[in-house]
Amino acid sequence: MTNDDTSAAGVTATADDLDSYLNLDPMSQFSGVAGDVRDPYPALWDKRQHHPVERIETTSWKGDPIVQYTVYPFDLVSQVMRDNETFVSAAIRETMGLVMGDTLLVGLDEPEHRRQRALVAPAFRAKAMARWETTLMSTVIDELIDRFAARGRAELVRELTFQFPVQVIAEILGIPRSDYTLFHRWAMAIINLVADPAAGFAAAQDLREYLKPLIDARRAEPCDDVISDLVTVELPDADGRPERLSDEEINSFLCLLLPAGAETTYRASGNLLFGLLGQPDQLDAVRTDRGLLPQAVEEGLRWENPLTITMRRAVRETELGGVHIEAGADVIAHLGAANHDPQHWDRPDDFDIHRPQRQAAVFGFGPHMCLGMHLARLELRLVVTHLLDRFPDLRLDAGAGGDPHIHGDRFRSPTALPVLF
Amino acid sequence: MDIEITIDPMRCMGSGNCSFWASATFDLGDDGIAFVVDLAGDPVDKVVLAAQGCPTQAITVTRDGRALG
Repeated sequence: MTNDDTSAAGVTATADDLDSYLNLDPMSQFSGVAGDVRDPYPALWDKRQHHPVERIETTSWKGDPIVQYTVYPFDLVSQVMRDNETFVSAAIRETMGLVMGDTLLVGLDEPEHRRQRALVAPAFRAKAMARWETTLMSTVIDELIDRFAARGRAELVRELTFQFPVQVIAEILGIPRSDYTLFHRWAMAIINLVADPAAGFAAAQDLREYLKPLIDARRAEPCDDVISDLVTVELPDADGRPERLSDEEINSFLCLLLPAGAETTYRASGNLLFGLLGQPDQLDAVRTDRGLLPQAVEEGLRWENPLTITMRRAVRETELGGVHIEAGADVIAHLGAANHDPQHWDRPDDFDIHRPQRQAAVFGFGPHMCLGMHLARLELRLVVTHLLDRFPDLRLDAGAGGDPHIHGDRFRSPTALPVLF
Repeated sequence: MDIEITIDPMRCMGSGNCSFWASATFDLGDDGIAFVVDLAGDPVDKVVLAAQGCPTQAITVTRDGRALG
């Protein structure tokens, strides 16, 4: 992909394109990128049963005819994501790479992927994340809770879950607080790229310009934040020579981090809280035994995937679940369907924190497994912990109206979380 | 009979997924490669979960020479 392709698609960005994101309304995305579906599971159940690997002839976002296979059963989703020699990430590079750069981690295949992943991984290990827990992350969450704590009621999507993940990312990157809103606006526009390319390109361009001097400053004088980790990391290559991340790689990676880290955790934390608040006995169990929190987090992630699909491309002719797949076809792994596969999960549609633990199809499988999973799990544990610590009688506000429910197709999360305490 | 755990350092990509599922058994070294801290650190089912969940299938768990999980 080159810039020529960008202009050919008629994408020219202006500052005005970002205006629609100024109000930062979390609901605005359901009519766009997230998808307007209330309960996709009956239809997914049917597909998994009758067309486990479903062939569709469609057109790409550029208007070219393409063949797409969507994969629904857990075992086949796992197979697609683990076999990164057959099912490559080039298709992601060709779309998100346009905005975030050719060196985008999620769009790389081997051996480039392994090299860059090894360099960025240390900053996102569980131990590296733990150093932010008590100071920075807890402060972000507590300050948001402070704003509504005296009120006795709140709407947790708009007042907490939509706000805190982007602020956590900004904090660990060392972004000034005064720029949080700007940051959030960019994140939303970038994630919404498919629905509104012009605004997405504009936001990515602005974000990259914004990050450049920050990366330079950390190169000159590293401090205790993730950008400093990225500019200082050094690993020996196969011949023992030191390898480092280029400025372009860092910029591209940070561009990804903002939407990837903010959007998914916002939705996942809403889903987890919706599950717990909707099952008061399970919320009580977690309240009295915080040791149950990690498995509650895993169940929330399984029960409602924040991001339901991910894409690969078959680089050679192959067969999947008895279905022939031609070289060059796009293959969509339906994580949401996999996590509701009755062959793999007992009573898959039920939220049950006590179910036997297994790894869900949520952070992916294979070499591209989510780099941010330790950060996400930590944030999910923290947000529930802080809410339960501050409000021992936290409960759903049944009289709030508005029919709160989990909504969305590609992205899913609650429309609202009205609570009393 | 105790279990045996082998980790292929050439396959390991340092995701840290194993130490999430069986934190008393696995840890990541400074080189980003997983290692076994304590063979008996977690119940066997957790160790098997960790091996099954390994993104690059770098972990093998055996008992009596037979693979578990």
